[in-house]
Amino acid sequence: MQATTVRFQPYWITQKLKLDTNIITNNTSVLEISKFRCYISNIAFKKNNVVVWQEPNSYHLIDANDTSSYSIKLNMPATLIFDQIHFNIGIDSTTNVSGAMGGDLDPTKGMYWAWNSGYINFKLEGSSPLCTTHNKRFQYHIGGFSIPFNTLQQVDLPVHHTTNINIAIQLDQMVAQIDLEHQNSIMQPGRAAVEFSKKIAGIFRIKL
Amino acid sequence: MLIVISITIYGFSSIDSLIVIPLGWGKPNYDFTKNPLNKETVALGRKIFYDPILSRDSTISCSSCHLSYTAFTHVDHDLSHGINGKIGTRNAPALMNLAWSKSFMWDGAVNHLDMQALAPISHPAEMGNDIENIVAQLQHSASYPNLFKAAFGDTVINGARILKAIAQFELTLISANSKYDQVMRKEPGVHFSTQEENGLLIFRKSCASCHTEPLFTNQQFANNGLAMDTFLKDIGRMKITQNAQDSLCFKIPTLRNIEYSFPYMHDGRFKKLSDVLKHYTSDIQQSSTLSRQLQQPIILSSDQKVDLVAFLLTLTDKSFLYNPIFAYPQK
Ligand code: HEC
Ligand code: HEC
Repeated sequence: MQATTVRFQPYWITQKLKLDTNIITNNTSVLEISKFRCYISNIAFKKNNVVVWQEPNSYHLIDANDTSSYSIKLNMPATLIFDQIHFNIGIDSTTNVSGAMGGDLDPTKGMYWAWNSGYINFKLEGSSPLCTTHNKRFQYHIGGFSIPFNTLQQVDLPVHHTTNINIAIQLDQMVAQIDLEHQNSIMQPGRAAVEFSKKIAGIFRIKL
Repeated sequence: MLIVISITIYGFSSIDSLIVIPLGWGKPNYDFTKNPLNKETVALGRKIFYDPILSRDSTISCSSCHLSYTAFTHVDHDLSHGINGKIGTRNAPALMNLAWSKSFMWDGAVNHLDMQALAPISHPAEMGNDIENIVAQLQHSASYPNLFKAAFGDTVINGARILKAIAQFELTLISANSKYDQVMRKEPGVHFSTQEENGLLIFRKSCASCHTEPLFTNQQFANNGLAMDTFLKDIGRMKITQNAQDSLCFKIPTLRNIEYSFPYMHDGRFKKLSDVLKHYTSDIQQSSTLSRQLQQPIILSSDQKVDLVAFLLTLTDKSFLYNPIFAYPQK
């Protein structure tokens, strides 16, 4: 066994994310991110597209309020040879209908919808002068697991045998694809959440 | 794998050592292997259910809206009210036989019994609280840490444990000893009257396709022809599925203990069973989602209505309503 660490680090372009601080965006307006959380689940490694190792009970909450949550230690065989890391962004549908669970899935984590049962897969909140809302806030709570509004995303990224894998979450790339002026809030499963979720996988990148 | 143990009394069978499954009811939908009942956890869940500590201002407990003596409904309230007298938008349903339910709430918004309690806890017009707060409060209370230890083996209190304990108590709320049940079990000396017998036949013809025996619900959603309340504008199931075919569809409720669970319907619009029968026989609203079974009028003479009500009253289970183990836990 060997401890491999996968580190998920949210970035704004080249800067590590800092909550509640002004970020000068490309169009020279000022943006703040106040909350960022997402679930990473079902971590696995693949060789030639075949899964060679899978983390058991693999559910991790990445929370910008607690940077220790960025690093995930995996106990996998030292001899493992792989060329891809696989993971899901969000929580699978079976877990969504399986009742109360502890750990990172505990409903106290602020990532569960009480009035439309299910986990929030991805949460991004902040403010931008482009938003015409109260306090110029934007809030995206992306979730939903039932067809046709499933928002779970699967990611495969190329990796080489190494003990430390660094994955960047490029939040600037997410914000660049959102029309902050016209869509500043998504708070329930539905078409808008699905459209949003399709953009999430692409912001996860290997950081060399 | 679930092990089914036969229990000789009443010919019930058991799926968990603490509850008996009435014969012929089929397998519960709840997965007891993920939350096996034990006496201590059921007792903890009962204490939490009756504890106003759950609401932000410590005034409202689950039992404020779900009273044991009325099959756990909010007696005499059409719309339930919560903290600071705020009025909600729906009528509190009866709570019983929840282990068989496939979804919860009038629109099926909740997919698992464990998770249901999060809804009233966080609703601003119900308990106005959040589960993180409750965890902290229970951790600081004098009695709860030891009760969690007795239930779960250590004093850790988290959201999942609170929810599982509440669910355990709710799972024990089984009502299966009405006159109807006793007649079906052919218990000596228990018989339907002629009226009740006629009522059963009418029921099986006009009502049972939705209110299916023995649970008196088929667990589906349907539009039973109620006119939409123009103030509440409740579209029911469509809010959850966002599918126009589900507009005005609500969960088909059980009719067990119906004598006590008035007022009726998702918004408590009817006070009496005679109002309900008037609805089904003369006030059905046509609409594109009206259920197929109700598109042809149900025609009942006044005698038949009396018989049908007489049958519905046989669904009252006093041994459930007045069972001391479901009531407020006395020290
Ligand atoms: C302020 C009144 C109120 C309080 C307090 C309240 N409930 Fe309810 N309960 C309701 C209403 C109203 C509904 C129906 C909600 C809906 O359909 O949207 C409901 C629905 C339910 C259901 C679903 C039943 C079914 O068959 O679908 C359960 C279970 C339940 N409540 C348990 C609880 C528990 C446990 C608590 C305490 C944590 C609680 N309730 C607190 C009013 C209340
Ligand atoms: C098409 C399915 C269907 C049929 C047939 C049907 N019902 Fe219902 N019933 C429902 C639904 C759905 C509700 C809940 C509607 C709501 O609240 O919006 C309901 C609610 C009720 C309620 C209120 C229960 C409560 O707890 O509030 C009673 C009583 C009732 N039905 C009796 C009957 C009787 C008696 C018949 C036969 C004459 C009948 N129903 C036929 C679907 C049906």
